[in-house]
Amino acid sequence: MPRYTPPEQSKAGQIFDIAVVVVAIFVALWLPLKMGLAGAAKSIDALDAKTWEALGQNPTMASIWEKLGYTPETAHDVIQNRFHYVIDWPTLIIMAAVLIGYFVFLFRASDREYRDVIKEKFDDK
Amino acid sequence: MTVTAESAGTAVNGDRVSLLRVLGPAHVWALGVGIVLVGEFTGWNFSADKGGALAALIVCWIVGLLYTSVAMIDSEVTSTVAAAGGQYAQAKHIVGPLMAFNVALFLVFAYTMLEVSDAILLGDTIVAKAGVEGLTHNSFIAATIVVLAWLNYRGVLMTLNVNFVITAIAYISIVILFFSVSPWTQGAVLKLNELVTPNNALPYGWIGVIAAFQFGIWYYLGIEGTTQAAEEVRSPARSLPYGTMAGMITLLIAAAMTWYVCASLMPWEYLGITYYPLWDAGKLTGSPLLENLLFVATLLAALASANGCINDAARAWFSLGRDRYLPSWFSAVHPKYRTPYRSILFLLPIALAFAFIADLNQAITFSILSGVLQYTFMSINIMMFRKKWPLGTIRRGYTHPFHPLPAIVLFCLCVVTYFAIFLGFGSQLIAMTIFYFLISVWFHFYRYKFVRRGDQFTMPWPKPQGY
Amino acid sequence: MWMALSYACWCISIVLALWMLYDWFKVDTTYSEETLTSSREGELEAVSETHRI
Repeated sequence: MPRYTPPEQSKAGQIFDIAVVVVAIFVALWLPLKMGLAGAAKSIDALDAKTWEALGQNPTMASIWEKLGYTPETAHDVIQNRFHYVIDWPTLIIMAAVLIGYFVFLFRASDREYRDVIKEKFDDK
Repeated sequence: MTVTAESAGTAVNGDRVSLLRVLGPAHVWALGVGIVLVGEFTGWNFSADKGGALAALIVCWIVGLLYTSVAMIDSEVTSTVAAAGGQYAQAKHIVGPLMAFNVALFLVFAYTMLEVSDAILLGDTIVAKAGVEGLTHNSFIAATIVVLAWLNYRGVLMTLNVNFVITAIAYISIVILFFSVSPWTQGAVLKLNELVTPNNALPYGWIGVIAAFQFGIWYYLGIEGTTQAAEEVRSPARSLPYGTMAGMITLLIAAAMTWYVCASLMPWEYLGITYYPLWDAGKLTGSPLLENLLFVATLLAALASANGCINDAARAWFSLGRDRYLPSWFSAVHPKYRTPYRSILFLLPIALAFAFIADLNQAITFSILSGVLQYTFMSINIMMFRKKWPLGTIRRGYTHPFHPLPAIVLFCLCVVTYFAIFLGFGSQLIAMTIFYFLISVWFHFYRYKFVRRGDQFTMPWPKPQGY
Repeated sequence: MWMALSYACWCISIVLALWMLYDWFKVDTTYSEETLTSSREGELEAVSETHRI
């Protein structure tokens, strides 16, 4: 196999490639923030009675909350802000498919490139 | 006039400028533990939010197992493939170029976002301590990132000496806190049995334990960063396994102590949302001395972590440039300080920008996602490594025991962690994976044409089996 | 006091950032690009450690 000689990249091309990567990084990290996709899926289960007992806190816990500067009213939104673990099957399946698809592509494309590398490294000499 | 390397009295390696081999095992420990220890000061406690106090303890141990596997696997591969870029160079020699490109991006993302989290934590901690109207965290964030980048720019030895000292102080402060709350007697200061009761230990049941895996990762995330120093360690085959394993043991002890003290001092609902669990623990002991000690330790841990992250992210980026995966411009080494200075400078504004726009929780999640993708790769990587070069065909600095058990354990725990991330942060995971997929397509079909093929394989090994 | 600290942080950041930019410029104009990007992976492995099983 002939040795592969990569084309020389122009200065402008290099700068453009850096720009592509930077933009991609910002889009990947910033877009989920903007679209509200990032962060935890939590919501508050409101209670009417705002006492330490109703919030399920025993006297020891209550004394610590108070030491931390909370009252039952202010602690309510902290304590009742809960995750709701319902397994959303379509999302789970999409997620699994995306992940598996990504890894399969990654390993197969890598292997194709790797064979070239090994060939050039070991067969030419 | 162009000054040659020799006449400037630096860079003596033929006529080449390379990174400097100056580090010992203690620096490897400082790099690994320094990056990770901040996780005990913030982050791990969000696992209590996702599953309760007991869930946080269970994941502390199970994820400890995951990371012990990571450390074992990593020690074997990296003591054999000793090059800057760590897992990147491993992927390049074992799986292939595209994988390597992705791994380097995982590394850069995980570390840069961790650095961002550290800077935000540091800024927020100071603002919370000051309690002054109108004081924002921006100046502290900027100072953290810029000063540490400067330190990294000026040389790796000083950078990691500083890291060793501040990591040690932060670690000792956890030990001091642990022993000053008389951990052997419950009821005096610690009230574990009243705070973690059968009713609230697992408020979400067992699914909460699985969900908690996500932030359980934060107890140890970054320990694998020790491999980034491979090209700057005097004796990589010995120092890297030694420093990494010592680091892992240190962290397991710190994680257990941290959980015990915090869970015995705070209700889980508060523990799950605070940004400063150890500082709060110091406050709740009622001792101003402990409170101030833990305040300072939180700052130092954040600094040590950000410092190590700049070091690691820059090396991964540098390696990408060196192989022309990205423009080779990035592969420049400073002739005097012998650091990948352009990579350090390039990543600085990116870190700053995110530190100003993201919040702590989000930055942590980005970092965790990239970390878990990388661990998935590692479990498959070691399998391929042993298959392509079975034991005895090449010289390994360290051979990990019980193969393939650690790899299988690691892979299974990664799958559980994906599911944990799905519980609550699923859309973010999908968005990230799509990004990696698109950039992989870009690399495979366009960027790879600028890469020299055979030159990427730099290890003096025989041909892999099956090729 | 905290406000002063905050301003001090801005100053330090700016000074160090400018210094790094200055040093970067100086290095890039003093040395040739070939010298700066001459680092190669696995160099030590090939030079100092003879590879034996």
